Amino acid sequence: MRPWCRMTPPRLTLGKVSDMDHQKRDLAFLRLLKLPMYLWTLAFVFVSLLYVVTLSFLTPGETLGATGEVTLQNYARLFDPQYLRVLFNSLVLAFQTTAICIVVGYPFGYFMARLKPKARTLVMLLVIVPFWTNALIRIYGWRILLIANGPLNNLFIALGLTDEPLKLLNTQGAVLLGMVYALIPFMILPTFTTVEKLNFSVVEAARDLGAKPFTAFLTITVPLTLPGLLAGCVLVFIPSMGLFFLSDLLGGSKNVLAGGLIQKLIGSRNIPLAAALSVLLLAVTSAVIVVYRKLGGTNDMSLF
Amino acid sequence: MKRHSFLSILFMALVLLVLYLPIVTVVAYSFNANTGRNPVEFLGFTTRWYRDLFSGTRGYGAALWMSAKVAFWSTLISVVIGTLGAIGMTQRSLLPESRRSRSEGIMETLVSLPIMIPEIILGMAFMAVFYGVGLPFGELTLVLAHTTFCIPYIFLTVKSMLAGMDPALFDAARDLGATPRRVLTDITMPLVRPAIISGAFLAMAMSLDDFIISFFVYGPSSVTLPIKVYSSVKVGVSPQINALCSVMIAVAFLAIALSQYLSAIKEARNRRKAAKRA
Amino acid sequence: MKKIVALLVALLLLPGVSLAEGSKMLNLFTWETYIDDEVIANFEAETGIDVVYSPAETNDDMMLKMSQSGGEGYDLVLASDYALQIMQKAGLLQPLDKNKLPNYGNLDPAFLSQYYDPANEYVIPYMAGTPLIVYDPAKVDVEITGYEDLWNPALEDSIVMIDDARNVLGITLKTMGKSFNETDPQVLAQAKEKLMPLFANIRVFDYNTPYTSIINGEVSVAYMFTPQVYYTLLERPDLKVVYPKEGLGFGIDGLVLSAKSANVDNAHLFLDYLMRPEVAAHNALTQTYMNVNKAANDFLPEEYLNNPVVYVPSDLLAGAEFIQDIGETETTMQEIYTAFKLQ
Repeated sequence: MRPWCRMTPPRLTLGKVSDMDHQKRDLAFLRLLKLPMYLWTLAFVFVSLLYVVTLSFLTPGETLGATGEVTLQNYARLFDPQYLRVLFNSLVLAFQTTAICIVVGYPFGYFMARLKPKARTLVMLLVIVPFWTNALIRIYGWRILLIANGPLNNLFIALGLTDEPLKLLNTQGAVLLGMVYALIPFMILPTFTTVEKLNFSVVEAARDLGAKPFTAFLTITVPLTLPGLLAGCVLVFIPSMGLFFLSDLLGGSKNVLAGGLIQKLIGSRNIPLAAALSVLLLAVTSAVIVVYRKLGGTNDMSLF
Repeated sequence: MKRHSFLSILFMALVLLVLYLPIVTVVAYSFNANTGRNPVEFLGFTTRWYRDLFSGTRGYGAALWMSAKVAFWSTLISVVIGTLGAIGMTQRSLLPESRRSRSEGIMETLVSLPIMIPEIILGMAFMAVFYGVGLPFGELTLVLAHTTFCIPYIFLTVKSMLAGMDPALFDAARDLGATPRRVLTDITMPLVRPAIISGAFLAMAMSLDDFIISFFVYGPSSVTLPIKVYSSVKVGVSPQINALCSVMIAVAFLAIALSQYLSAIKEARNRRKAAKRA
Repeated sequence: MKKIVALLVALLLLPGVSLAEGSKMLNLFTWETYIDDEVIANFEAETGIDVVYSPAETNDDMMLKMSQSGGEGYDLVLASDYALQIMQKAGLLQPLDKNKLPNYGNLDPAFLSQYYDPANEYVIPYMAGTPLIVYDPAKVDVEITGYEDLWNPALEDSIVMIDDARNVLGITLKTMGKSFNETDPQVLAQAKEKLMPLFANIRVFDYNTPYTSIINGEVSVAYMFTPQVYYTLLERPDLKVVYPKEGLGFGIDGLVLSAKSANVDNAHLFLDYLMRPEVAAHNALTQTYMNVNKAANDFLPEEYLNNPVVYVPSDLLAGAEFIQDIGETETTMQEIYTAFKLQ
């Protein structure tokens, strides 16, 4: 229930018979409006995902697709330690990515919301513009920067920080950097939106009552901006498990992550196993969303 | 307080610097005269990669065109479906007598699911279904897939805008005898237009930039720009890619400058009008 | 404003129509730049056929897309030997019509009648090569003479390796004195044991651009394909090439015709064009692989034909081994490789 709903005064009902008529017609009309979306969603989201679940119980066929033989083999194979390790590593990386995005993105969104309107618009645009160019190209830019004889290493050597080029590219750290880089706007923007809506007189009241700035921040600001922070966490955490190209471009293809494994399995045309892994990933994702809802997150995306 | 704001500005500047570091690198390297297979060393200035980019043989133009077409159609379809859907779902919940049914909650989750789950799952799902149904992979499958993940962006932005409105607006119109259709066209639509526009921009940007889902549903003669870029990056054809990125950045900045300029003009005009009235 | 929108809509609708009229089209599916722009532009100018170049990243991608569409929409596919065979077995290809290929006789018979196409029905060979080891003597203290040395603990985190199951497992088998195409499960189990520790020495897996890593000093040792070795030496003459003493691997990439090709005649025209001696010579020079067209040798400079990286000394080449179809064992090898990579 949104707060404003509770605050709306009860509607004046005049008790006319025509009101009932109105409502019936309204309902029929509204039902008609949402029909296309319902149909589309059922056809493309529900049926597609259901098909993936079905595939995950079948045996791989000759080419793409599967034979009708029902099996639990695919799931049994997922519990092979090597696949579990991939899932575990993906989760660890997703947590790390989210943590860094919180540490950097939350304060950024907060400060951004507190700027003067003109400066705020400018910074907002500066955050958004890079994301109008292709994500792969931006990651490619990092490749050039991080390579052994690239600009960053040359700079470090020129500054005398190191004699030998540092190992920057093709490391776990580079993959983490790429993840944070690709996903941080999804932390900044929701935070910004909630902080912008925040009524700062509440914080000032706390200060007037003697709270130290930091205490006021922790006890007032953080709880009030929690919806944005939570939404940001979900928006960062979930995609980070699926971005398979980052390990290829920045990690030397050495860290196989869940998304990458699904892609490799499809590449080797083992669709049922890929489907089983997708179902597992879907389960993890759903768990994350359930936790998010339990913590008080909404489905509301005014965060963009 | 002063010292604090200086630190916060420094912090923001640093983050922005990191955000732009790879982009500046890419733009700088788009002028690198190094023609080797491995252009990390900077060997002088050239504009040849830009000429290469637009010369046509490389196929970037065709890929850009395909991306534009797919983005256009998926945005258009999703705007219609998503907006009507959002209105249909939200306004109903505004009628006090009608409680939100459980199935509606499930539908809402289902509608927004495409942007809540890792893209690769949806990509493989589409591939499997389209293959199973025997739909030829190409422009059509791309539009179907993109529309599916564009709808949530429209739906959610329009819905959140509607949710923030006073339901009395619509009730008043109804009580004054407007038909549901007239309420839709004369009241609701104009009110949610900003949300539709921002949702459409978001959806279009997501469609233009989508690589993972497109990768699984593109077909012969329907290569989109991100797919083209990925295959170029993978075989190390970087200079043209750098040029392409620079062009995109330039276009983005120009578009923003233009829109800022236009809104400034509008604001000035409004202010003048207001002054006149006063 | 409305006019502009209407115009945009019209523009967006149009090309779908213009692309659909098929007769003057050819869809080519292969790695980006594997067939030079100039070659395609010249062919287009000469014949008026519009070549659509569909880029792919790996053999796997090409096989996946071909399976997805059943070959519909694609005309010619240029992929590696084993992939060609898999597509042929899956019924995705159609035989070529030699009557439409007057230049077929230019091909070097040494590259014909291979395991993937013993009767020369489906494949036109395009390029051939042998993967070799390259290393930086300034950074590597040990002398590298064969595959075995790649396991040396001194090379920790310093190798770039072809990201391919058959090649990686193949060289492991070679160090054990076995074949690239070993099928004995017991030997393969031993090979798995042997392979696992190699992971610690590998810094990058890269199929398409391993040369970037070694040229820029990311790694000091590379195992990679012929043209990649060639580029590397152009930029870094200080690096050393090794013909592994355990024996070489060998591969051919070839063009095949999709079973559902809608432009069979155009495809044959293009294939024949590629087999013209001067075009084939140009291709060999731009791709820096071993030339498979006998008549083209007259158009290749002497120093290219004598380049020891592209044209490996014949006594070594004689012992080189193809990666072949090994049936069911393929799955076993893929599984071993997956286990290796998921360490």
